[in-house]
Amino acid sequence: MFSKFNKQLASVFIDPSSQPLTIEENVNVIVSPSLYWVKKLDLPVKNVREAKTLLPSLFEDILPEGSYSYSVYKDGEYFFIFAYEDKKILEVCASKGIHAAQIEGVYFAQSELAHLTSTHKINDTQSIYVKDDIVLLVPCMWLEDDSMLDVNDLSLSKHNVKLKQFGHIVDDKSFNTLVVIFSVLILLLGVEYFITQSKLQSTLELRDEIFEKNGLKSTMMQNRSMLKSYTTLHDKQTKIREYIGYFLSLKLRNGEKISSIRYKSNKFNVDISGIKNGAEKIIVESLKNKKMIFKPTFKNDTLSMEISL
Amino acid sequence: MNRINPIHILIFLFVLFLFFMLGLKNVKTELTEAKVAYRETLELALQLKGLNEIYSDKQSVIQSIDRILKQSSLQSSHIEKKITSSSIVLHSQSLGKIALNSLMGKFLNGAYNISELKIQKLSDEKASLTMEIKW
Repeated sequence: MFSKFNKQLASVFIDPSSQPLTIEENVNVIVSPSLYWVKKLDLPVKNVREAKTLLPSLFEDILPEGSYSYSVYKDGEYFFIFAYEDKKILEVCASKGIHAAQIEGVYFAQSELAHLTSTHKINDTQSIYVKDDIVLLVPCMWLEDDSMLDVNDLSLSKHNVKLKQFGHIVDDKSFNTLVVIFSVLILLLGVEYFITQSKLQSTLELRDEIFEKNGLKSTMMQNRSMLKSYTTLHDKQTKIREYIGYFLSLKLRNGEKISSIRYKSNKFNVDISGIKNGAEKIIVESLKNKKMIFKPTFKNDTLSMEISL
Repeated sequence: MNRINPIHILIFLFVLFLFFMLGLKNVKTELTEAKVAYRETLELALQLKGLNEIYSDKQSVIQSIDRILKQSSLQSSHIEKKITSSSIVLHSQSLGKIALNSLMGKFLNGAYNISELKIQKLSDEKASLTMEIKW
């Protein structure tokens, strides 16, 4: 890992009109002046950080339409400010055989070649030369020096930039905003998910405790069945008491007496003796008014009633 | 310098967001169902426990009947008591009017599983009684 950092990487000069290269390892790319816009300014700010906020407005009127990134560094009293299209530089690199993954660092010719004292050709038609501290690209025919530019032995500055491969798709601000919004939503949902999950777990545990504590059967079907049989039993017992209550509260005439009360196998029987002929109807009506359903038989002054529970 | 496409990152975050949203929806549904099941189980357990204690607890039924029979109004009535594995049978050939009223008042106002009952009038003052209570 350390060898990678210690290794001296090759530098290549990239211009749209330069010849394609055969690159196998990572390289540092020095970008031709034709791929960026540069201004040398004396700005009323103290440092690079303050200057960065002004960059888009400083290029506002001169840049053609496009998606630009900005960079700045200070050299002496002056600020060198840059505007460049990441996508365009990457496309030129790709067309010259340099894949984005192979680009280690991107440098502007301005920062790396400003020290040149003589002119240098970059190809058959164009040369580079420095005028008023600005690195320029001019046709060869304007100049007489024919030496080719060699960037391999160049000691690179610290003024490199990171190209945004996808800057043209979504700008940094929108991307960061969306990432923050999604991250916050995911975080909130995640927290609520785990809270709900733990509530679910504790509810299930509480339910298990009810089973254990009350000695319930293992399935709810068995328990419901047990409850149903108990409820039926309870209803029957309540009815028995109700019926006995009805009969005991019955207003009987002189000589009329309850001679027998029997209950067995869901059959409830009551005999009332000493009833004169015709009087049994009064008793039957009285009980029917209490919504009792029974089968009455009258024989030998005894009224027998059978109720099925 | 090779970076991940931000669209891919946003799609990944959106998928993650959807995953958590659907997961949360499912787990909330499960929680609602679990709460309903918990309430149903609790209600059922309380009812079962109550009814079981009333109708199926042999010891408490026997103790309760013994307490009734030990009452002064019933002590002299000589009510026979026969306990089987699933029931208790009370029998009296001749029970006084007051004792019968007292006994029936206790049994009808209490919660007992009366499976058989036979009260036969013998005279204006006496009656025979047979009563089986199950558990």
